[in-house]
Amino acid sequence: MENILKNDRIAAIWRKTGFLQQIAFPVGLLIVLFACAGAINPQFLSWDSIRIQLTLATFIGIAGIGQTLAILIGQIDLSIPANITLAAILSANMYGQTSSSLLAFATALGVGVCTGLLNFAGVAWLRVPSLIWTLSVNLVLQGVTLVYTNATAPSSTISPLVRWVVTGSIIGIPALLIFWTLCGTACLLVLHATAFGRRLYALGNNELASAMSGVNVFQIYLPVYLTSGIAGSIAGVLLSGYSGQTYLGMGDSYLLIPIAAVVIGGTSLAGGSGGYFGTLIGSIAVVQLDSLLTSLQVSPGLRKIFFGIIVLGMMLVFRRKRATV
Amino acid sequence: MKNWIKNSLYKGISFNTLIPAIGLALVLLIYWIQQPLIISDFGMVSISNQSVALAIAAMAQTLVVIAGGIDLSVGALISLSSCFAATYMSAAEGAAVPILVGTLVLGVLAGLMNGALVVYGRLEPLIVTLCTSFVLGGLALQIRPQPGGAVPSWFAAMLTGNLSFLPFSLVLLIASICFIWIPLWRSRIGRAIQAVGNNEQNAYISGLNPRKAKLFAYAVAGLLTAVAGLFITAQTTSGDPNVGEVYTLNSIAAVVLGGVSLRGGRGNVAGPILSGFLLSTIVSALMAWGISAFWQSLIQGLILILVLVGVGWQILRSESWRQLLQR
Repeated sequence: MENILKNDRIAAIWRKTGFLQQIAFPVGLLIVLFACAGAINPQFLSWDSIRIQLTLATFIGIAGIGQTLAILIGQIDLSIPANITLAAILSANMYGQTSSSLLAFATALGVGVCTGLLNFAGVAWLRVPSLIWTLSVNLVLQGVTLVYTNATAPSSTISPLVRWVVTGSIIGIPALLIFWTLCGTACLLVLHATAFGRRLYALGNNELASAMSGVNVFQIYLPVYLTSGIAGSIAGVLLSGYSGQTYLGMGDSYLLIPIAAVVIGGTSLAGGSGGYFGTLIGSIAVVQLDSLLTSLQVSPGLRKIFFGIIVLGMMLVFRRKRATV
Repeated sequence: MKNWIKNSLYKGISFNTLIPAIGLALVLLIYWIQQPLIISDFGMVSISNQSVALAIAAMAQTLVVIAGGIDLSVGALISLSSCFAATYMSAAEGAAVPILVGTLVLGVLAGLMNGALVVYGRLEPLIVTLCTSFVLGGLALQIRPQPGGAVPSWFAAMLTGNLSFLPFSLVLLIASICFIWIPLWRSRIGRAIQAVGNNEQNAYISGLNPRKAKLFAYAVAGLLTAVAGLFITAQTTSGDPNVGEVYTLNSIAAVVLGGVSLRGGRGNVAGPILSGFLLSTIVSALMAWGISAFWQSLIQGLILILVLVGVGWQILRSESWRQLLQR
């Protein structure tokens, strides 16, 4: 009897923390991926290679902060790619004109805040489905970028501060990784150790119920979309520091990849369950998977096919909904 | 029969269809003031040719959205069917017709794959079609890494030519409505698709088969997407692994502009078709006025936002906060 109770309790804790979904599965996947990579080419396990992987994962992971929060409340943010491009281009131009890193960063921040407010207005206030609203915002931002640059190559003077954050290191630890760790820790703390985090999960589970029990839904939506906008524009600035230039369409691949990272990390697209830890692992797994396929020297077409099939296969094994009908 | 025509006319001229209809009329008017030549057989062909692909892709998206899903693989499937048709048509001279049929079958199979993953795999449509868009896009890239290939000249002429004022592309659109959309929509399955999109549980309890309905919706959407892909192939007379990319988001935009509810179950196909025409002609209308094509996505986005604000505002005024949260 006691044994059963004990088992029940353990099972309950497992369910509550989403251990299998959010921790065991992504971490297991990551270990398998690294093992495969190591078996194919031991070079993969060298620090240089891992450092490159982590750098690439950082951009996904930071853009994924916003995406995770949006998906947790049962919405989505598809305006990230245009946000990344616009923030990168505007801040690079600002730096080119004023040579002030602070102003350049403020410009990027402004782009993020505007995007966030726009998304908030449509999704929370007008109650338009976020899928289509954020998609339209993406289209508008894309249009603004095109009209602003007039489709000429934008400025490519990147602030040295940004370049240092991306390439530099503090006592041997890459500065970018420290930055990601800080952002990630902040996100995890907010999600799991504050009242705001609890309300956020409650909202994602059942919006009506949480609103009727006194949660002001606007107070959840606003920070979520602001964070998402700002995280997107920061990812854009970092990306420009990494590639040393800005160009139209530089954020395009960040539409679907962060969503894949979030879903691999065990966050349910229906909202209310999951968290940032999974996304963290998920973004590394996505990058690792891609570079593993690249190292096998398969053609770009086959690489896409494998990527799709592998993600689908994992979803089928681990992420099926309960049968409803 | 008479009643049915009256009914569908009445339903066709709903508020939702009115927005794109008025918008399209306005755009055509603006276009015509600057470029009176659009009321000529050449003008008709050019307007119809640049719009029909998006209109058909929007029909496909409409079907899936009404069934309660979303299809992000529309663009990839268009690319795949374009690459498939252009590559194998140029390779085998006499086999054009079997290749055409093969492309349509390919579309149905791709749709069935989406449907099966959603129905039997019990995954979210968003993530399923996201993944299959990678798979289908990868296949397109595998068949044809660079743009190229060719189609027989009769094939291109058959789809993009005209008979004085009647563009053949418009015939294709009408044929897809008459031979694909209406038979499905008027059938039991078509009704079931709407019911399932509205409320799957209720549809099941009422004795409908939600699985069958969803599978059908995705499969027919695949077929329509392949038709759109074939048309683009005829238009460009080549295959391009990236040709379809813009159609994913644009078809969703057309669906929303056409008044189809993204929550499923509600909407008709006239709105999305008109919106497809609207979104495609607006650019050339503005270009006739000397506005650069760079404004395209900004203007399309602003139109979408305005419509969404309008619809959202209307709902906001008519429903209580609690009703809103329940939806």
